[in-house]
Formats: sequence, C-alpha cells, structure tokens
Amino acid sequence: MILRNSAIGIAMLATTSVQAADFKWASTTDPQTMDPHAVNSAPVLGFLNNVYEGLVRRDKDMSVQPALAVSWEPIGEGDGWRFKLREGVTFHDGSTFDAQDVLFSYQRASGEAADTRSWFAPVSEVIVVDDYTVDIMTTAPNPLFPSSIANWMIMDQGWTEANDAAVPDKEAGNFATINANGTGAFKVTEREPGLKTVLEPHEGWWGDVEHNITRAEFNPIQNPATAVAALLSGDVDMINPVPIQDVARLQEDGDVEVIQGIEARVIMLGFDHEAETLKYTDDAGKPNPFRDPRVRKAVAQAVNVDAILATIMRGNAEAASQLVSPAMSGYSSAHAERPAFDVEAAKALLAEAGYADGFSFGLKCPNDRYLNDEAVCQAVVSMLAQIGITAELDAMPVRNYWPELREDNYDMYLLGWSPGTFDAEHPVRFLVATPNEEKKLGSWNFGGFSNARVDELLPAIQSELDQTKRQAMLDEVTQIIQDEQVYVPMYVQPLVWGTRSNIELTQRPDNFFLLRWVTVN
Amino acid sequence: MFAYIVRRMLQSVIVLLVVGLVAFSMFRFVGDPIDNMLGQERTQADIDRLRTELGLDQPIPVQYYKFLKEAVQGNFGVSYRQGRPVSTIIAERAPATLELAFVSGFLAITMGIALGVFTAIRRQGVAANIIMTVSLIGVSLPTFLIGILLIYIFSVELDLLPSFGRGETVMIGNWSTGFLTTSGLKALILPAITLGLYQMTLIMRLVRSEMLEVLRADYVRFARARGLSDRVINFRHALKNTMVPVITITGLQLGSIIAFAIITETVFQWPGVGLLFINAIQFVDIPVMAAYLMLISVMFVTINLIVDLLYYAIDPRLRVDARAT
Amino acid sequence: MTDTIETPSAPTKSRFSKFWDSDFAWSFRHSPVAMIASLVVLILVLSAIFAPLIAPYNPFDPASLNLMNGFTPPGTPNAFTQDTFLLGTDDQGRDVFSTILYGMRISLFVGVSAVLLAMIIGIVLGLAAAYFGGWIETLIMRVADVQLTFPAILVAMLIFGIAKGVTPPEYRNEMAIYVLIIAIALSDWVQFARVVRGAALVEKNKEYVQAARLIGRGSFPIMFRHILPNVLSPVLVIATISLALAIIAEATLSFLGVGAPPTQPSLGTLIRIGQGFLFSGEWWILFFPACTLLALALSVNLLGDWLRDALNPKLR
Repeated sequence: MILRNSAIGIAMLATTSVQAADFKWASTTDPQTMDPHAVNSAPVLGFLNNVYEGLVRRDKDMSVQPALAVSWEPIGEGDGWRFKLREGVTFHDGSTFDAQDVLFSYQRASGEAADTRSWFAPVSEVIVVDDYTVDIMTTAPNPLFPSSIANWMIMDQGWTEANDAAVPDKEAGNFATINANGTGAFKVTEREPGLKTVLEPHEGWWGDVEHNITRAEFNPIQNPATAVAALLSGDVDMINPVPIQDVARLQEDGDVEVIQGIEARVIMLGFDHEAETLKYTDDAGKPNPFRDPRVRKAVAQAVNVDAILATIMRGNAEAASQLVSPAMSGYSSAHAERPAFDVEAAKALLAEAGYADGFSFGLKCPNDRYLNDEAVCQAVVSMLAQIGITAELDAMPVRNYWPELREDNYDMYLLGWSPGTFDAEHPVRFLVATPNEEKKLGSWNFGGFSNARVDELLPAIQSELDQTKRQAMLDEVTQIIQDEQVYVPMYVQPLVWGTRSNIELTQRPDNFFLLRWVTVN
Repeated sequence: MFAYIVRRMLQSVIVLLVVGLVAFSMFRFVGDPIDNMLGQERTQADIDRLRTELGLDQPIPVQYYKFLKEAVQGNFGVSYRQGRPVSTIIAERAPATLELAFVSGFLAITMGIALGVFTAIRRQGVAANIIMTVSLIGVSLPTFLIGILLIYIFSVELDLLPSFGRGETVMIGNWSTGFLTTSGLKALILPAITLGLYQMTLIMRLVRSEMLEVLRADYVRFARARGLSDRVINFRHALKNTMVPVITITGLQLGSIIAFAIITETVFQWPGVGLLFINAIQFVDIPVMAAYLMLISVMFVTINLIVDLLYYAIDPRLRVDARAT
Repeated sequence: MTDTIETPSAPTKSRFSKFWDSDFAWSFRHSPVAMIASLVVLILVLSAIFAPLIAPYNPFDPASLNLMNGFTPPGTPNAFTQDTFLLGTDDQGRDVFSTILYGMRISLFVGVSAVLLAMIIGIVLGLAAAYFGGWIETLIMRVADVQLTFPAILVAMLIFGIAKGVTPPEYRNEMAIYVLIIAIALSDWVQFARVVRGAALVEKNKEYVQAARLIGRGSFPIMFRHILPNVLSPVLVIATISLALAIIAEATLSFLGVGAPPTQPSLGTLIRIGQGFLFSGEWWILFFPACTLLALALSVNLLGDWLRDALNPKLR
C-alpha cells in the first residue's frame, strides 16, 4: 500500500510492446458488475480475470499455476494451506500488494454481502504470518482448496476503503461496481454498463506480456445474428459464442476463423423423483412413472443423442455418459458407456414397468440458456413419441425457468451443469446429494433424488487426500447414478468462438476469454 | 375552459396511477429477479434474504406505494442488474433513442409527405401505383426481419454500413450525440430506415387520401376554375389543408415509434432505452421496468392531453361535447 | 375475408347498403389489384383451412418427425434418409411446406380472432361512450388513453406475462394461442372505439335517431339498428388493415419470445426460428415462411387499401 513511482512501469512497456493493436470483442451478456465479490457468475468472473488476479490462476489447459502467490504447501495433517505471496506486485493505481490485501479480500469475499462466500465454507481462519506469507486454515482436510480459489480475486484494501466499497453491494452498487483496481494485465479505463467497456494494458504488471494489445473494447451484442454480422463485416474481432448453425458458414469465409472446444457443461434431462403423480396433460393426477428407474432407462435409450449431435449441434458436440465431461478431474473412465439408442429395448422397458400403452407428461425447457436448447427439447419430444410417450413441451426464458423448477412445476426438465471446481464431486454435491438446506447439499437437485450410499460417500470424497481411493469412491457414485438413471446426460455443450483470421488467442475450457493470450497480427 | 383543463389533468394523473398499478402487479409474472442475482451456489436462505432486502416479499400495493413515494422525488431506485441509479442509466441511454427516433421520424415525415403528394397527384399513374404497392411490403413484414435483412445486405454482403451500435459518439454536456462523427452518422442509417419505414408508409397513405379528398373539395374546384396553376393548387391549397390530420396522427404515432424502437434497438444493439427495457425484462430488473413504463406513460398522457386541448381550442363543436364529459 | 365483406351488407337493406352493394361490386371489377389480392388471400385461406388434406405431412405430430431429415434442401434428397421434400425441411426435420400450411392456420386464426374480438370490444365501447356520454364516456375514453399509453407490443407482452402467471400450469400450452389473441385484441380495440364513437357522435344528433327516440325505441336497439350500419365502412377498413397488423404483431411477439409454442409453430414462430439460419446457408427455412407471410399480409393490406378508396364516397 505504499505508493510507488510508476515511471518504471512505463519504461517496461516501451520495451515489451512490439506493435500497437486495437482489439474489439463481443459476447451476448455484459458483465453486470466490476466487483469481483458481488456476483458469482461466469460472465462476471470470466471478464474480471483480465483485471483482477487471485493467489492462483488457471493456465491455458486449466492447470493451476502461481499468480499472486508464488508457492503454497499444506500445513500439518490437512489443517490448512500456507501461501507465499509474490513481491513487487502493484495494483493499477500504483499501490503495492501485500498480505493485508489478501486478508482484506478474504473478509470481503466471505462476508454476508458477498456472492462468493460459499467458496470459503471450508475456511476457518486466515492468518497473516508476515507481509508476504498467509495461512488459510480449513475445518477439515481439503486437498482441492488451492484450485477452488482460482477465481477469488484480490482487491486493494486502501483503494476499496477509500472509495467506500469495503463491502460489496450487489443491490445498490458502490464505487467498485463500475470501477476496478486489480493487479491483472489489464485495467478498466472506460465503463458504460451494457454498452462498452474499454481495457488498456497495466504498465506495471508483474507477468510476462504475451499479447500486443494497446486497447481492447468489449461490446455486448444480444442478437446472435447481429453478432455474426458484426464479425463477418469486421466490426468486431472476436465473438463468443458463435451460433452452432453458423459454424460452417464462418469456416468457409476466408477472413474469419472458428475456434472450437469442449465446454465443461453437460446437458441432461432431469426427472421428478419425489412427486406421487404427474402434473401435466390429460394424465395429470395419474401415478408418476418417472419414479420407476426402468422408465428413466427407457427415456435414456429412446433419446438418439447421435442424431441430435449430427443435426442440431452439427457435429460440434460430444455425447456424455455421466454428469461431467472427460476433461474434468474425477471423471469415471470405467463408466464411459452411455445407454445405446434402442427404440425396441426402450419399449420393452416401458412394457415391463407397466406402461406398454405409454403416457403423456410435461417437459420444461429453457429457450435462452443453453446452445439451441429449445431445438434439442423439441427433438427429445419427437424421439420420445417414437416409444409411445407424449411430452408436452413448455419452453420459456430462463427468468421464468428457475422459479418453475424450484416450485416443482415439471414432470421432466432440461438442465445444463458446469462444475465450477472442474471436478466430478461438484455435480454430486449439487445435483445428486439429498437436498439439505443446512449442509448446503443438493441445492439444484430439483427432483429430490435421494440415495443413502451417495450421501455417505460424498463427505468421504470431499476430504480424501489419496487420489486412487477418491477415484474409487467417485466411480462408485457414478455407478449408482447410472444404474438409477438419476439423470439422462446427453452431450457436452461445445464452446464455439469466432475470430477474424488475423487474431490469435487461446480458448480455455471454462469459456473464460483472457486478453493476455491475444495477438493481433 | 379552465375547468375543463383542470378536470382533464386530474384524469391524466389518475390514468398514470392506474398504469403504474397495472405495471406493478404484472412484474411478478415477468419472472423472478432473484435467480439472476444469485449465482449457481445460492441456497434457499440466500433467496429469502435477498427477497426481503429488495422488499419483494411485501404486498404489491405496498411496493407500489414505496415506488411512488420515491418517484415523486425523482428517485427511481437502483437497477438490480447494474447497481446504479435508474435515473442515471435512463439519462445515459435516452439520447440514443431520441436521436434515432428523431432521424427516423424526420425521414418518415419528409419521405411520407413527398411520396403521398406524388401518389395523390398522379393517382392513376403507373409509378404511383408501384410506389403504393411497394410501400406496403414495408408494413407486411415484421420489423425484426426487415432489420436483419438490411444488416445482411448492407453490412455483411456489401460491407457498406456498420452492423450494430452507434459508432463513435461525442459528449456535449450530458448528451452523447452520434451526429458529429462519420461513423455515428453511418450507424444511424440502417436502424433509422428500419424504424421509420412503417411510419413513412402510414404518413404517405394518409397524405395521399387527405389530398385526394381535398382535391375534390369545392373550394379547390373553384380555384381550378379561377385558373390557378396546378402547382399552386396542389401545394398552397391542398397540401396545406391535409397537414392538420397528418400532424395529429403523427403525434399520436410517437407511441409506435417508441414501441418499435424496442425491436429495432434489439436487432441493431442500439444502446437506447428500448434495449435497456428489453434487457430489464430479461433480467427482471423491476426498478428499470417501472421507471421506463412510468416515463412512457407520462409522455403519452401528456401528448394525449395536448392533442385534446388543441382540438378543444380549434373545434368549437367539441366544446358542447366537453361540457358533457 | 370474403365472408367479412359480405356479412354486414346482407341483413340490413338500408338505402346506404343498396347503394354500397352495386358500387362496391363495380369498383371491385375495375381494380385488378383488388382482384389479384383477393385471389391470393382466398388461395392462402383455403390452403390453410384444408391444410390436413393438402399437406403431405403432419408437422404437429412429433411421432412422425425424423431428426435425421433435418436441414434437407428443397427438392434434394436427404443425405441420411434419401427422403425428398418440396420446400426442404427445418432443423427438426419438419417438412417446410406442410409446416407453413399448418402455421398459417394458426396465424390466421390468431389474426382473425384478435381482430374480431378487438372489433366487438371497440364497437360496443365506442357506441356506449357516444350514446350514454357522461361518466360512462369519460371512463371508457380514459381507459382507451391508458391503452394508447402503452405501445401495442408492450400491452401484448404484459398480458402474455400475466396470463402465463394466472393460468394453471397444465393448461398453459393450450392457453398460449388464446392469450395471444386476447393480447393482440386488447392492444387494438381503441382505434375501433375511437372511430365508432366519433361517427356515432355525429349520427347521434341526426333527425332519424332523434325520431326513433321519439317513437319510444329503447337505447340499445337504436344504436345497433341505426348508428351501427353507418359506421360500418370505416370499421371494415380498420379491420382489414388490423388483420394484416395482427398477423405481423404475432410474428413480432414471437421474436420477443412470447409467441406460439415451438412444437406448434405459427408463421411468425417459423420466421423467428428461420432467421437463425440466415447466415448458415439454410435459406429455405426463413425464405418460404417469410414469403408466405408477405403474400398474406400484403394482399390483405392491398384489399384494405382498395376498400378504403372504394368505401369513401368523397373519392367518387
């Protein structure tokens, strides 16, 4: 927090930047705040990773690497973690980074008003050992802790307090909502919420500069067709996402390139496991067939995922066998098979369960949340019709969708899940564990699935330090989920970005776009 | 007269209050802001806490009363999405919409009157009939499709005009204008055409039919008999007399300019209040929705009031009628 | 359309309608535009009504769809299934031709019902306002102000939102179309009411109404028997133009996400879906529904245009 002469920083920039380059990019949503602790959502965290930094950060391949901490080691037998901090780091306003800022950011990010406080549920205490050493104590052994705080961004205590922003205020906003002062490679120089945000390189950044951007401008563009037009006409240099159907067209265009990757998000069908009766169509009031695992299996076998991938996703996605994609840690390679598409087998299962004549029910679906979500649901409806069960589709914007699911207004629904920790434990905790408000378990398990063995294994998985034992338990959970067909995982949603061909960049699997990996040729 | 104005204004205030109440009771059905505001890892406790903080757990009349109490002091609350005062946001966005509305309105009126006069004078001509038919195409396709087609032709295929946004803007005081830069002016063309097309067709047809009626009126026939030239008849007499209904209708049509601006702004990512409103709906940003609807209502009720008062002043027959109301 | 034109002339054989009939027919015979437009409307309406007989597929039956047929270009066999479709298929493998026919049914049903509803509300309220005057008139005209205050699309969006909220969930999908009708009608009745009220105010003080009143006829019979026929021609013109507007409003609402359900798409929903494929090369998914909508709305508009001129006695 000692103000430092920034002349050194400017001198450094003069030697590193090879050529000046302007860069413009667009995405569907504007990050709603510049406050890294106020909103825990992908658009905000992804954007702010350019501006703020955490103790650790993720590399191009998602591996964890040092950022504001140079090294870390466990304390005792899983009592916590000791972080050695980087020296000589400055915030955008020139003040120096030290251990007090880490403690302050912990208090800020874990406080009542912070949206990020669930990240710190395992933390019991943060101790400043010296100016550049911090101990973070945990209540139980927590092997994954360092990688779970990659998005915990450090703010400058002096700047934040001087501007009355010591507590994040999501509802009323404060100085940190539209201004930012991080240690990241870029600083915010202009911010008009919903219109544009301008970033410029931070001259005093501690890292090696790999980019050649002198000014970057972000514009939200909502209508996908408009965004594609903007890219094709060169009004922007990069868009995220590219509508799946436009991939081929963009690939043909010589001035534009498409960058594809597999995202972490698995798209699946969910069921109501608890309700005694169906709630929709003429069959409303009749016993709920989805409580029978055979019926859920029949659904899994009736959905022709390959056809969805070939047509609606145009070969840009991969089928999913479980709740996480193979790229995630803890993925169970022993259970990589997904139920074969087999209409006859599905009909046989239905008959066995006593529904040979089929039934009808309500399928809920968002129409602005996942790539081509509405089209996928329509396809599911016609595929289920082949085995004699009639789904009545109700597709709606996501603003109506979550309340609907929370109030149990569905017989079957579509859900996408992206594990924030990039680990297979995450969906088990949120989607499969028996809902328990107190323990913060199963908060997205709308259908109320409950399995004693899963509930028993989950805490063991969370504290197991031995990777082999941990994987064995995750394999067992995956086995249960597949046997019970708790969900019908369909495919892993693709990441599709479009760039002008003179742009080189890196697409990270979590869909975060980092300017420090951009080169404008 | 004075009593009439007072009564009329009182009625307008009641209208505004009713509009507000309707708006407030409908927000609940637009969706739930809570999910957008809390992340993936929210718990039921978080949801309840936030709902109480925002006052969403209170009955609608109470919420409405609180809104009104603040609104009369010029305080429209803070946007859920942006965390900034709604009045600031609207003040930032208004210039974009007003400039767009102004340009498209101007285009619609000039082109509409010119083409209307032309098609009226050459009523049986081939060109006039073609114009009449072609102009209908503009109102026979949804606005969003026209906008997307224009983008496809003029920015993607021909690469002549920008596909989105306002281009470079210049700040004059608190007003950001796109009129002073080349990119700003270029950016205006496609959205202005998209937005103005419907109004232009409407004005053109109105001018044409009014002209046709006037041209058949006795006094025009007398003028012709007196040997006045066609030009003088067409422009000095006929056109002048068509202006009153044209101006009235155009004034009332401001409503559809604002409504269609919502769609035009969405298609062109035009940073005006229409886009703000659409974003607010998507995010269930109640303070922004409420402020937008109230502002629009105030605007319309005022326009209605002025139109009525003008009529009252102009047309003596209505005074009898007004006494009855 | 032809129905609506003929009905009003049939029951009341007033001086006006006799005069109107003959002249009307003459005008029609001498307007090629009107004849072509009504022919197009007739063809489209008939093919919509008889869609189940004409269409080769039933796109509303999910069991008949094969996703692998998706994105088949017009007249070319599909790469997987070798099936051929006249106008190609959309992303779900639905035959575009059949979907247009079925979609037009929904668009026309929504449009016609919305205009009829708006007309009924507008005429009743307009006549009531003019005839009764006093606080009834004030109330009705102020409600109309409220309505005008909210731009039509906004009104429709609000009603759609409210209706979605108050309908029991199991009926919501069936309700969607009726909600659309009510929403469009409620955003549209004011112009009918204003015209009817204006015209009725003029008629109200004419001798024949006064006379009818003197011989002891009740209020409502007077209004319907005497005033109504005289305001019918402007109402008819507005109705025609409104029909085109209502069909397009449905499409616009669909773009804003409040349209017919995707499993039973209207023309507007088809266009909303199709515009997503504008850049990707599957032009037929947008092009054919858009052309159909254009043909329908344009013909109705042209008819309305001709009606306006033909029914305006000042233009003869």
